[in-house]
Amino acid sequence: MNGGELNGGVLFHLGPLAISDTVLTTWGVMLLLALAAMLLTYRLAPLPKRRQTIAEGLVAVIERAIGDVLPADAVRRVLPFIASLWIFVLTANLAGLIPGLHAPTRDLSATAALAALVFASTHWYGIRAKGLRAYLRHYAQPSVILLPFHIISELTRTLALAIRLFGNIMSLEMAALLVLLIAGFLVPVPLLMLHVIEAVVQAYIFGILALIYIAGAIEPIASSESVESIDSGAITEPLNADAAPGVPPAAAVANPNDKEES
Amino acid sequence: MQFDWTTFVLEVLNFLVLVWILKRFLYRPVLEVLDARQARVQDEMAQAARLQQEGASLRQQYEERLAHWAQEREQLRQQLQQELAQQRAAGAAGIRQSLADEEAKARVRNAAMTASHEAELVRLAAGEAYRNVAAMLGRLASPPLTASLVRLLVEDLAGLPEAQRASLRSAAEKLVAGARAEVGSAHALDDELLREIARGVSAAAGRDLPVTVSVEPTLIAGVRVAVGECLLHANLADELAFFRHQDGRG
Repeated sequence: MNGGELNGGVLFHLGPLAISDTVLTTWGVMLLLALAAMLLTYRLAPLPKRRQTIAEGLVAVIERAIGDVLPADAVRRVLPFIASLWIFVLTANLAGLIPGLHAPTRDLSATAALAALVFASTHWYGIRAKGLRAYLRHYAQPSVILLPFHIISELTRTLALAIRLFGNIMSLEMAALLVLLIAGFLVPVPLLMLHVIEAVVQAYIFGILALIYIAGAIEPIASSESVESIDSGAITEPLNADAAPGVPPAAAVANPNDKEES
Repeated sequence: MQFDWTTFVLEVLNFLVLVWILKRFLYRPVLEVLDARQARVQDEMAQAARLQQEGASLRQQYEERLAHWAQEREQLRQQLQQELAQQRAAGAAGIRQSLADEEAKARVRNAAMTASHEAELVRLAAGEAYRNVAAMLGRLASPPLTASLVRLLVEDLAGLPEAQRASLRSAAEKLVAGARAEVGSAHALDDELLREIARGVSAAAGRDLPVTVSVEPTLIAGVRVAVGECLLHANLADELAFFRHQDGRG
C-alpha cells in the first residue's frame, strides 16, 4: 500500500470520469445502505417485530439526538441530512475493516465533499429558517469589523471538519497497516477493535458538529459561541442550554479529538 | 494527501442520492409509522382519559345515588317507625277501650245478675214470710174474726169514697134483673151477717141486691163480695196477697 492507495487510486474510467476506489466503495456502501433500508422497512406493521424495531429504534434515537439540539419544528427538516451523515460516515469508516477495501473517509476528496455539503446545508437551513437578509445580517453582528472573522471561521471550521475525519481515518488505517507489516498476522486485532471505536466516535463527531453548525445557523447568537468553544476544545461544561440542551456528549467527545489533531 | 475533483463531485452527488434513498426508504416510512403509533397512543390515552373521566362521573353518580338511597331508606325507616308507633298506640288504645267496654259490660251483667238474685231472694223470702204469716193467721182465724171483718166491710161500704161508689154502682147497673151479689166467706155466716152485707152492698150500689153465700176456706178469715165485675175484699187472704203484691212491686 502506497500513498496513492491511501488517497484512493483510479480503478477505471467511466467516460470522462475517473472512478476511484473511494467512489466505488461509496457506491457499495450506498447499495448496502439502500438494501438495508428497504429490508428494515419492508412491510411495516403497527405492532413492530424485531426487524422493524431496529429501524424504529435507529430513527427514534437519531431524532431524539437532533431534537436535543434543534427546535422541535426543525427536527424533521434536518433529520434526513444529519441521519444520513451519521449512517454513511459510520458505514464508510467501518468499511475499512473489510480486507481489500479502504474506508472512503480516508480520502480527503470524500471528507471534503461531506464537509462542503455540511457547509452548504448550514447556509441552506439558515436561510430557510430566517430568510436571506436576516441570515446574512448575523455575519455583521455584533460589529461589521467581525465580518471577515466570521467568514474565516466558516471556512476554517469546514476545512477542519474535512481534515479531522480524513486525518483520523487515514492515520488509523496507516497505523493498522504498519502494525500488520511489522508485528505479524494477529497482532493488529486490538488495533482493529480500536478502529471500530474510532469509526463510531468520528462518525458521531462529524454528525454532531454538522448538527451544531446547522443549529447555529438557525439560531446564530445562541449557538455560535458553543461552536467556537467546541472547535477550540475549551468546553468542559454543557453547551448553551437554549440552543443545545442535550449536547454534553458532543463536547465530551470533541475534546479528545481536538487534542489528537493538535 | 491528494485531492481529486472528480471524486469530490461524485461524492457530493453520491451523498445527495444516498440522502434521497434513505429518506425515501427509511426515514419517511419509519417516521410515518412512529407518528401513526404516537397518534394512536395519544388517541387511546385521550380515550382512556375520557373513559376515566366517565368512570369518575359514573362513580360520583353512583355514590350520590347510594347516598340518596341511604337517605330515603333512613326516611322510610323513620316513617315506618312512626307508623308502627301510631299503630301500636292505636292498638293499645283500642285494646284498652275494649277492655273497658268488656269491664263495663261485666259490671252491668254482674249488677243485673246480683239484682236478679236479690229480687229472687226477696221474692223467696217474701213468699216464705207470707206463707208463715198465712199459717199463723190460719191458726188465729175463727168465725168471730170473720164476723168482725164483715162488720168492717159494712162500715167501709157506708163510708166508701165517691169514686169507688160510682164504680160499684156502675157494676151493679150492668147486672141483669134478678142477679145477686156473690159472697164468699171463710166461715159459715149467720143470717144477721148476711142481711148486714145485703144492706150495705145495696146501699152502696144504689139498688137492692140479694146475696148468695159460699164457703171458701182459702180466704182464712173474712169475706169477698162480687158485684158483677166489681170485687169487695174483706178477708185475710186477699189482704196478704195485696201486701205481697205491693212488696213485689216495691
